[in-house]
Amino acid sequence: MNTPDPRWQRLAAAARQIHDGRDTAAPSGFATRVAAHAFATVEQPFSALLARFSWRALGVAALLALGSVAANYSAISALSSGSDDDSSSSEIINEMINPS
Amino acid sequence: MADETFDLAGCLERVHRRDQAAARELVEHLHPLVIRIVRAHLPRRMSEEDLSQEIFLKMFTRIEQYKGAVPFSHWVSRIAVTTCIDQLRAQKRRPEFRWADLSEGEAGLLDSVLTNERAVAPDDALAASELVHKLLGQLKPEDRLVVQLLDLEQKSIVEISQITGWKQSLVKVRAFRARRKLKKLFEELKRMEKS
Repeated sequence: MNTPDPRWQRLAAAARQIHDGRDTAAPSGFATRVAAHAFATVEQPFSALLARFSWRALGVAALLALGSVAANYSAISALSSGSDDDSSSSEIINEMINPS
Repeated sequence: MADETFDLAGCLERVHRRDQAAARELVEHLHPLVIRIVRAHLPRRMSEEDLSQEIFLKMFTRIEQYKGAVPFSHWVSRIAVTTCIDQLRAQKRRPEFRWADLSEGEAGLLDSVLTNERAVAPDDALAASELVHKLLGQLKPEDRLVVQLLDLEQKSIVEISQITGWKQSLVKVRAFRARRKLKKLFEELKRMEKS
């Protein structure tokens, strides 16, 4: 290890004469606040994880719903507008009521 | 940590059982140790209370990882040191050292230190302290920490290694680098003064 620069040594020696007389005790309420916060943050992970996954699941569900609507759009629009489909569905209902 | 009768092992045991009163006692017991580190390495524009709170919260988050391999105070001081270094690194840009930014007393003292070999007068101790911290601000956070512990707090390489958790060889390398940078800085300041 190299020796310090003599100019630095002189400045550091003078700076060492200054003693920090400030109080080192914890300020009032500091320990209580930190302790409460520490235990609160330790408890948080499970609920935070749950909340995060809930939001993620909601997002995925919404995307799937939109995707399935888009994929079956033609079938849905045909059902709502086609009269043939109305007749075929009434035939099915008839068959169900009168199986013979 | 003035209270020598403090039952640290018992307190830690209670903290593990999530006893909030024990956590409070632990914070009060360790506060002097943590605040000294924070005050020596406080980044600009950050309150010492915020930084010490961050250190204590990290301590509680990691307390399950403490296996007793080193004294608890060393373990906590390492958390404090790394948190301070992270904050100093986050500042990214270190302020440039310029003659124009020095107070009249600091500039006079620096001029005197650069031009003669006399010891600094006791009356100039405060200006020297300010100047020293401005010069330290030019170093990388890790190098600054080592030179501060070595030259200002007069800790040994072994003690610095215990406080920081760095190997003694790494502490020596950082001290070497910091001292070389300070020497270069003094040369630059002397050149700037002449021009």
